[in-house]
Amino acid sequence: MSISSLPYAIARTDIVFESFDGDAVVLDLGQGRYYGFSDSGSQVWQALILQVPPAALVGQACAGQALSASDVEGFVGRLLGFGLLAASPEASPVPLPAAIAEALQAAREPLSVEMHDELADLLLVDPIHDVEEQAGWPIRKQ
Amino acid sequence: MPQTLVRYARDTLARAAAADASIPCRRRARLPALDVEIRCDHGPLAEAMAGFAAGVAAAPDMQVRIVHPGLAGIAPPAEWGDADFGSNAFADLLAAEGLRGSYFHELRFWQFYDPASRQGVQLMAARDAFPPWETGAPLRAFLHWYYAALGMRLTHAGTLGHGGRGVLLAGAGGAGKSGTVAAGLVEGLDSVGDDYVLVQLRPQPRAHRLFDTLKQDPAGFARLRLARVLPQPGPLNWQGKHEFRIGDLARRAPVDHLALTALLLPRIGGGARTTISPAPASEAMLALAPSAINQMPGDRLAGFRFFGALTRSLPCFRLTLGHDAAEIAAAIAAFIEGDPASMQGRRA
Repeated sequence: MSISSLPYAIARTDIVFESFDGDAVVLDLGQGRYYGFSDSGSQVWQALILQVPPAALVGQACAGQALSASDVEGFVGRLLGFGLLAASPEASPVPLPAAIAEALQAAREPLSVEMHDELADLLLVDPIHDVEEQAGWPIRKQ
Repeated sequence: MPQTLVRYARDTLARAAAADASIPCRRRARLPALDVEIRCDHGPLAEAMAGFAAGVAAAPDMQVRIVHPGLAGIAPPAEWGDADFGSNAFADLLAAEGLRGSYFHELRFWQFYDPASRQGVQLMAARDAFPPWETGAPLRAFLHWYYAALGMRLTHAGTLGHGGRGVLLAGAGGAGKSGTVAAGLVEGLDSVGDDYVLVQLRPQPRAHRLFDTLKQDPAGFARLRLARVLPQPGPLNWQGKHEFRIGDLARRAPVDHLALTALLLPRIGGGARTTISPAPASEAMLALAPSAINQMPGDRLAGFRFFGALTRSLPCFRLTLGHDAAEIAAAIAAFIEGDPASMQGRRA
């Protein structure tokens, strides 16, 4: 399977993100899950949601080496698996912005994204620390 | 279900308002930027709210009625039917109709709030049929909804300060947040709260005191040697923790607010000395936002944006705790008295 030359987009409108000095933190409001990225992962996330095709990232200098097709495919696969990205074949591909290419080159960490879901969808549980003591909640009524 | 829920919310608000004559306690409480009228029955919830300062404004900014079917005119709370319950969907359904609400299944415990009229109702199956955490942070959901509309947030974080300046302590349970707050108070620092504080972003970040409750499990209580200042801490609460108040530990009169100068991310360390080192803002956001947002019903997107802005506006640091309470407090005091912003340049 060859790497996609078609762009992706944020999968749903209730997926939002904030950027901190180039580091992205994503919140999936529907699932109540948070995602933290490595420095290079943050740059690739921002490139992908600008609709830079994954193929355009292959070969880019990143944390001291060139991104391989498998690096990019693996990362995009994780984002798809988390439901953060969806294919957007009708969109016009965007070239990689120079600022992102430079930030990728300056990155120190490999591509990675971590999900933080220990508090997912616990909007109504014990507000004071000890969510684990509320066994069985939250629940979906049977 | 959507229309049923919205109708039920409005009906519950109206029925409670019509039952005022049967609600025995009426009092006014003064909180930051808020004068709230509370109507409730006698009992532990009324006692928990006795700690609020008395309201003085000519007219309240918000009214909350806490009712149950033992009061004339109040029907038993409805039970959620066969429909799937999703807390996010629940909040979104109500928000689409301009309402706020939450529901706790086990007790058929409903809370509804109408931001337009600033009226809230808490409907319980019986006078004492409330979740055990309610007494530690009474009116929490209503305060969250009220303050969110003002651009302020109830924030799940601890605080320590000195001379009017202070730090926010953020992290998951077990990170050492509550123990750090208790240690700081005993050693002479100020705090405007642990667990929940009110944070405003503009014109400058500031934390306000809402609740005085502090908690420590017996191991932490012993490790911090809190018996020196609180020899009879009373029975353990529902979590198996000692529950006490800021004033029980503080050396000085409690302060009402602190100008925030930094966001600290405590973690239990193994060394003798406490260290404070710059942390990436993204790490601080992940320590602060999930519990601060997910423990409050509704207004999640606004909360995410708020905590993003707060995290960007404060220098962020990892606080690796030593094992001596006095040393921890001294390290934090020195940090507060220094210039946290100047340390931020030394990025992690």
